[in-house]
Amino acid sequence: MHIHKYEKIWLFFGIGSLFVFLTIIGVSAFAQGNQPPSCLTTIDPEKVDETPPFNKPGLVKTGDNEYQLNIVASAFAYTPNQIEIPKGAKVTINVTTKDVIHGFEMAGTNVNMMVEPGYVNSFTKTFNKTGQYTIVCNEYCGAGHHMMTAKVKVVNKQ
Amino acid sequence: MAIPQLQNTKPKVKMTKESPSLKGTLASVFLLGFFLMFTWISIYFLFLDRL
Ligand SMILES: [Cu+2]
Repeated sequence: MHIHKYEKIWLFFGIGSLFVFLTIIGVSAFAQGNQPPSCLTTIDPEKVDETPPFNKPGLVKTGDNEYQLNIVASAFAYTPNQIEIPKGAKVTINVTTKDVIHGFEMAGTNVNMMVEPGYVNSFTKTFNKTGQYTIVCNEYCGAGHHMMTAKVKVVNKQ
Repeated sequence: MAIPQLQNTKPKVKMTKESPSLKGTLASVFLLGFFLMFTWISIYFLFLDRL
């Protein structure tokens, strides 16, 4: 079969970019240990209120500068919805939902995940700047979807 | 003998018709390619900026 010279060039780049993507994903997943926000951590969606750590949602200190922020999403609110985080803290955010699928986006950051009933989704972020962040639901969940928000304040603390 | 000669002349005509110019196609394929690379790379830098 005869292939035009130009055709060979763009086929080479097309197939080459496939290998570039595969290499990036492979290094990211297996060498750096990156995972999607939900790595199949499950929870009974009807017993969220009794299951630790979601029976006492909020910010928990787990190490020297490490924190866990456990949040329960439900139609149409986050619990808690006013959160203070000390500046410089490395926070692992765990979210789950009691009812339908919700979204969890910290506007202006990389924290952005789906919250599905039956699963716990996690994202770790270090807060190096003081300021305010708004958490919004970006997964349409019902009549009150647009009012589903929470506020995070990053404050100076010794 | 006459028939084989007729058949021999046909492929030669076809061969000269082939190899159209693909310059425009090459340019548009790489224009699209560079646009895709530009968007992916800028999204990656947006991700790094928000870390
Ligand atoms: Cu919602």
